Amino acid sequence: MPKVKMPRSAPSLDMTPMVDLAFLLVTFFILTSSFRAPEPVILDPPASTTEIQIPKQVFLVMIDEEGRVYVDITNAAVKSKVLKQIMSEFKVQGMSEEDINNFGGVGPVGLRAAEIPAFMALESSDRPNYEQKGIPYDTAESKIKTCELYYWAYLTKIEAHNDYKQREEEAKLKNMEFDKSNYIQFAIKAASNAKYDKINQVIQVFREAKVKQFQMITGLESAPN
Amino acid sequence: MAEIIQQSSGGDGKKRAKKLSTRVDMTPMVDLAFLLLTFFVLTSTFSKPKVLRMIFPEKLDKNNPQVKQPEVKNGLTLLLTKDNRLFYYNGALKADNPPTEISYTKDGLRTILIERNAPLIKQLKELQNKLAKVAAADTAAKNKIEREAKDAQQKSSLVILVKPDKDATYENVIDIVDEFLITQVAKYFVVDTGFDPLERKLVDEKLNQ
Repeated sequence: MPKVKMPRSAPSLDMTPMVDLAFLLVTFFILTSSFRAPEPVILDPPASTTEIQIPKQVFLVMIDEEGRVYVDITNAAVKSKVLKQIMSEFKVQGMSEEDINNFGGVGPVGLRAAEIPAFMALESSDRPNYEQKGIPYDTAESKIKTCELYYWAYLTKIEAHNDYKQREEEAKLKNMEFDKSNYIQFAIKAASNAKYDKINQVIQVFREAKVKQFQMITGLESAPN
Repeated sequence: MAEIIQQSSGGDGKKRAKKLSTRVDMTPMVDLAFLLLTFFVLTSTFSKPKVLRMIFPEKLDKNNPQVKQPEVKNGLTLLLTKDNRLFYYNGALKADNPPTEISYTKDGLRTILIERNAPLIKQLKELQNKLAKVAAADTAAKNKIEREAKDAQQKSSLVILVKPDKDATYENVIDIVDEFLITQVAKYFVVDTGFDPLERKLVDEKLNQ
């Protein structure tokens, strides 16, 4: 019987389609992912079965387990505007126009108005090391003047309205459809084991600022049948 | 690619120009592509957080101190206190009828809520069945049924007062509100004044047992 001669070559595989796929996926993930701004605290919110999605734009109040409060506004332009007004409200000086504009992108902050210029003067890599003690939010009669959270909430409420009107007008000018749901809403994100007492105080601040409706951010839990 | 070109070494001694392969070794590039892919897959999150909507009444005028505790004649009052403990009572509280302790689990609070809210749950189920029968294109009929469901919720929902004291946690309150969502309780109020003296006394007695 004659021997069948096998061609002597290394086993090889055409990897091109696989590579194509891999790069396609990489491109997809690069384009769809957005990086979160660094957060001063990591909170573990309680779970609920609700299916309402988080609004597109929020004024977020974060409350950690010790009751420290941090705020963030997801709209950078509005955040800078609010900061500017806070600075003049509390007569804090020493902030450059550039720093105020940059403030929109720094993520949640839990600082008194007086601390913000020093915080913004730091290099962005040093900012996470800055100890944030939280924003004062006691609404007791004698402390209303120092309740900075109230000013944050109140000024954001006004700016949210302005922002909405402005975008509505722009859409009208350009004859484009206007997204009505894109209104800055108020949201609370708190650690599971935070005392309700503290959350209640924040709610009182919201009520003081005439914010009646707001969202409690929760994790997801499957609904029972 | 990772291919080894085998050269047959003939002993003819003639020097030939080597035929260079036009193939490039893609292995490192593939490695890199998959590394990046893994990174983005692992770091990206798809599920956005969900929210519970809460509505609180506007602050009352300070010059008009007609602040009245909402009274619940035919309803439940839930008292949330330390160590994740929960008490409830029906209607008005009497000194000789202390609040009952109950758990946050499915067998505790949820059973009671389903039992007490049964008429509404039944009504809503009927409406849902009706909705399923309506043709998909008939939006007018659909809207009507949805409105009916909302009215039913407003009219015949169980009324509940939630009173967290200073030791209750945020999770406790969210758990309770979530139970309301599951059991279709539409009328509930989270009270910010804490316990009444009588409630405090009776709950403390239970806690110290």
